[in-house]
Amino acid sequence: MKALLIDDERLARNELRRLLAPHPEIVIVGEAANADAARAGIAELRPDLIFLDIQMPGDDGFTLLESLEPPLPRVIFTTAYDEFAVKAFEFNALDYLMKPVDPARLAAALEKLPGRAGDPPGAALSERPLRLAPEDKVFVRAGERCWFVEVRSIRLMESEGNYTRVHFDDAQPQLFRSLNAMEERLDPKAFFRANRRQIINLLWIDRIEPWFSGGLLVHLKGGLKVELSRRQAQAFREKMSL
Amino acid sequence: MDSTSTVASLVTDAGSRRRAKERLYVVCQAAGWLALLVLQLLFVRLFAAERDPSDSIPSIVQTIAEGWLITHLVRRWLTRWGWKDLGWRRLAPRILGMAVVLSAIWAAVSFGICYGLLRNPLPAKYHPLAILALNLMNGAILMAGWLCIYFFYHLFDRYNRLQIEQLRLAAAVKEAELRALKSQINPHFIFNSLNSLRGLIDENPDRARQAVTQLANLLRYSLQSGQLETVPFEEELNTVNDYLALEQVRHEERLRVRLDVAPGALALPIPPMLLQTLVENAVKYGIAPRREGGEIAIIARCERNQLRLQVTNPGTLVAGGGSTGVGVRNAADRLGLLFGAQATLNLREDPPGCVVAEVILPLATTAARESARARTLPETGPEVRSAERKAVLPA
Repeated sequence: MKALLIDDERLARNELRRLLAPHPEIVIVGEAANADAARAGIAELRPDLIFLDIQMPGDDGFTLLESLEPPLPRVIFTTAYDEFAVKAFEFNALDYLMKPVDPARLAAALEKLPGRAGDPPGAALSERPLRLAPEDKVFVRAGERCWFVEVRSIRLMESEGNYTRVHFDDAQPQLFRSLNAMEERLDPKAFFRANRRQIINLLWIDRIEPWFSGGLLVHLKGGLKVELSRRQAQAFREKMSL
Repeated sequence: MDSTSTVASLVTDAGSRRRAKERLYVVCQAAGWLALLVLQLLFVRLFAAERDPSDSIPSIVQTIAEGWLITHLVRRWLTRWGWKDLGWRRLAPRILGMAVVLSAIWAAVSFGICYGLLRNPLPAKYHPLAILALNLMNGAILMAGWLCIYFFYHLFDRYNRLQIEQLRLAAAVKEAELRALKSQINPHFIFNSLNSLRGLIDENPDRARQAVTQLANLLRYSLQSGQLETVPFEEELNTVNDYLALEQVRHEERLRVRLDVAPGALALPIPPMLLQTLVENAVKYGIAPRREGGEIAIIARCERNQLRLQVTNPGTLVAGGGSTGVGVRNAADRLGLLFGAQATLNLREDPPGCVVAEVILPLATTAARESARARTLPETGPEVRSAERKAVLPA
């Protein structure tokens, strides 16, 4: 598994290297001391995993994540003491390591990663096409909270200018990416463009009823309703029919 | 926090309070005079056997209207003369005097109108002077009553406002104390330092050992100095040096430090954590966010009757540029509490691209300095301490 270390302190990166030495399945392909270098490194090296410090000169770790094109590499945050970050993670069961890093905690975090030795190699991110798989994650931040949202748990995406509002669980934060850009990355077998403003997850459809002038009204599990125009309803019927 | 916001809302509502008071005045004034009018009319109807002109209904209405107008006009002068701010001891004779004067004006006006302007015949039963005297007395009692009510309300109101002011002060003091408690070393820094230290152990064991001592010094100082009002500048400077050395372990070549300290400044008393707060701020906003890092300079000068401390860092002063200003405001508050208005703390950009935090402290008396010297940290003897510190200080 290819890993990239992102931390502004040389000593911290060195220390992480030393901590990762007993884990031969993690191959460190590079280091970055700031967000720009990290972006370049991720684009070029396509790591499966990044160790990400939150506070860095220039863009911080969250801003870096927001700017990355999904699918994201696996992320393990490393933070010294960050009430904000810790709070954000508690809701999301993300992996984060507190610096100085406890070797046992690191081992436990690595244990949870998929695609380790023994798993089929196809799971590794670097070998996958750019379409988002249902188990891929999208990073969303809204104010003090952040989420790694599994694509399969997204019920509905709504266009709001350059942003997309993402409905999942009981939250609906905005993602800094246009709905059209999102559509290109989504699997057309799982998601359907209901109208100009909305994309629905087919797995979340509860029931469908006929609507005015040949359209359809789609009820999603969890109570959301989406209207399909006649044209879209036609496309929808074609897509869903055997 | 709750009491502060309540008090703040009370204070910011001054405008609407003034309007409410004005409304209250109009209502009371109208109600009082109208009640008096009704009473007078009743009285005349029930008891006055002799119908003299001053007892006719229009005449009574007119007299009441005059009283209403006079008290309304005098109100402005009472405010202008600042009588509202007097205590009741100084107010009492003024009220008496003013009541007599107002009553004289009132009587003059109503007599003038009643017998002069309208040419009503003078009553035959009593001597006109007796009537005038009676009127004067009556008027004086009424005016004194009016003034008493008026000032009683204002005394009460002022008492209330004083209480609010005291509440506000108490809340401000509490808040300052709370923030002082929080003004300790940033935990983010502590854990980052520990992490760097871990990395340093293999790479440079000697430097790692030294860093452990520096971190220990810093933690001890931050824990203990909270109980002291002032510490000698030298003591604070040593702590700041330890802090900067640790930051240099983290930021390496990105952090450069320049010290320019007048020897005379070393013994002067300053509030603990003052310089530390400014330097931490300088690292946080001047070094940490800049990839290329920069230089932090600490400059201390004794000038005439003041100690001038400057901490500079590269950067710009942007309003709301990610800074909450808590650290600096906190430091400014503590300065204010300790030294009053003579001490100042300001942040400015001079020259552009270089942020200067400057503190000016009045030089305390020798006695205060001695007491500050006596209150050094308790963990080592003063002789050992100063010897050890001198070794750390740059020449």
